[in-house]
Amino acid sequence: MSGRRSRSRQSSGTSRISEDQINDLILKLQQLLPELRDSRRSDKVSAARVLQDTCNYIRNLHREVDDLSERLSELLANTDTAQAALIRSLLTQ
Amino acid sequence: MHHFVPDFDRDDDYVNSSSLNLPRKSITTMGGDDDNDLMELLWHNGQVVVHNQRLHHHNKKPSSSPPKMFHPPPPPMQQQQQPSDQNLFIHEDEMTSWLHYPLRDDNDDFCSDLLFSSVSAAPTAPCVTADRPMTSQAVTTARPPVAERQMTSQAVTAERPPVAERQMTSQEVATAKPSLPRPPVRNFMNFSRLRGDFTNGRGESGQPSVSKAVVRESTQVNTFAAAAKPPAVVAGDSALLRRTDGTEKCSAVAGGGLDLKGKAVATMTTTPTIEILGTSTSIMSKREIGPEKTIVDERKRKEREAIDEAECRNENEETKQGRGSTKRTRAAEVHNLSERKRRDRINERMKALQELIPRCNKSDKASMLDEAIEYMKSLQLQIQMMSMGCGVMPMMYPGMQQYMAMGMGMGMNQPLPPPSFMPFPNMLPAQRPLPTQTQPMGGASVFPAPQYPVHPSDPSRLYTQNQQCNPTLSQPPQYPSYMDPYQQFRGVHPSQPPPFQNQATSYPSSSRASSSKESVDQENHTKG
Repeated sequence: MSGRRSRSRQSSGTSRISEDQINDLILKLQQLLPELRDSRRSDKVSAARVLQDTCNYIRNLHREVDDLSERLSELLANTDTAQAALIRSLLTQ
Repeated sequence: MHHFVPDFDRDDDYVNSSSLNLPRKSITTMGGDDDNDLMELLWHNGQVVVHNQRLHHHNKKPSSSPPKMFHPPPPPMQQQQQPSDQNLFIHEDEMTSWLHYPLRDDNDDFCSDLLFSSVSAAPTAPCVTADRPMTSQAVTTARPPVAERQMTSQAVTAERPPVAERQMTSQEVATAKPSLPRPPVRNFMNFSRLRGDFTNGRGESGQPSVSKAVVRESTQVNTFAAAAKPPAVVAGDSALLRRTDGTEKCSAVAGGGLDLKGKAVATMTTTPTIEILGTSTSIMSKREIGPEKTIVDERKRKEREAIDEAECRNENEETKQGRGSTKRTRAAEVHNLSERKRRDRINERMKALQELIPRCNKSDKASMLDEAIEYMKSLQLQIQMMSMGCGVMPMMYPGMQQYMAMGMGMGMNQPLPPPSFMPFPNMLPAQRPLPTQTQPMGGASVFPAPQYPVHPSDPSRLYTQNQQCNPTLSQPPQYPSYMDPYQQFRGVHPSQPPPFQNQATSYPSSSRASSSKESVDQENHTKG
């Protein structure tokens, strides 16, 4: 009986630790999100919401990256080699 | 617990041997046995323990034979009790903890009602009816010892006070530990009450009353604990007569005979207990080696065991519910449900996030989130860089002059923006104030809100994008005096100035998608 109790307590303790860790990480994640960055002070956003927004934001970032890379490649294709080299050097900075 | 167990055992012993602990102990090594028996009762929560006990009983059979000679009933008791001693000690603390729970649930009163009805119906000899046949058998078979037992009973009467005390203690225990199976507790309480009466009456009226009391006690004990061994014998002939009367009375209640007891037990106890009864019977049948007495005793004991097990069942149920935490458990269940839902949602999104993050094989949530954060940062940086590159790119495009004009205005207003981040106002909201700062010059109105994603195939959009991206980059060529802060840009792009200049000069012909307003602004700037 007591063993069971102590075991559950222990497990809850370990899960509490990881829970705290994850909460910190989610807070960090939240601060990276432009939509949730401002609401951080007013009210606590649920972890699920943060994760959802993170997913959406990452998708947006992916799209952005794709668009930008497309445009860049287009631009690079349209520009002479000197300027392309310049841009490449800028991008690889 | 200790109190309780010893008391109970003593009662049984008293019933069995019609003697107090001292005589019994001297006769046999029952002291530990009694405790064991109690242990069996209390500790029946764990079925394993029960099984062990039974096994022990089997093993112990041979050893118990000698005591039989003197006391026919005790041997089975010994068998039961001795082996479980270790268990008793092992589980003592836990038992105490359980016992202290004040559970007075009425759920488990079904047995108690039955018992009570029988008891109340014929308090003097109601249970005796059930025991009657058995007792008679015992008397017939074990006639010789009767005299001794009577003697012992007298001794018991002499020693009555301690018994009363024990009963009191048992009562106290019962009240203090209601978590024990309901029926037994009440039984014990009645028990004690009767005993107290008995003691009082004994002191007043003397021996005859004592015999009555003994009979009562024995009957009660038999009914409740199903241990009906030698009490009848102890009571003596008068007790037998009384019992016969009692049997007549009780016949209505119980129907008469040992089988009645069994029936009562079956009805009282739930189905599981009935199963247990069956198992116990099988065990008992195996054990039926001794004489008829022992068989009868075994039967009785069997019944008692069944009752005990039923009690234990009740106790188990009570202890499960009865941690006083039924509400808490319910709330915990609700909480668990909602928590599980929340967790499921989070896990689901975690999985989605994991799919979005390349090369994320981490199963650990924390490391996965870490990776997600890093990945997001890297993505943002990448977009910064790419937009910077895009910003650099427009310089080569025709129509750059507009940016140059705007850049000039900005440069006039704000000569020292952080160079590395200036080109990407949309990327870093912290840099947002930049357009507002340029507003007085009229160039800020040109900046549209950042719009991602932009389709590169759309030239006008691309144009606007470029506009957003690099207002400052276009600055240096036209107004070198303001470009000191942007030296790094010039250094980085040594080839830029000429095209800018060219484009600026050739602005009218090269402008592709510039709006009239922009052109006006540009003209103004160029003029200025």
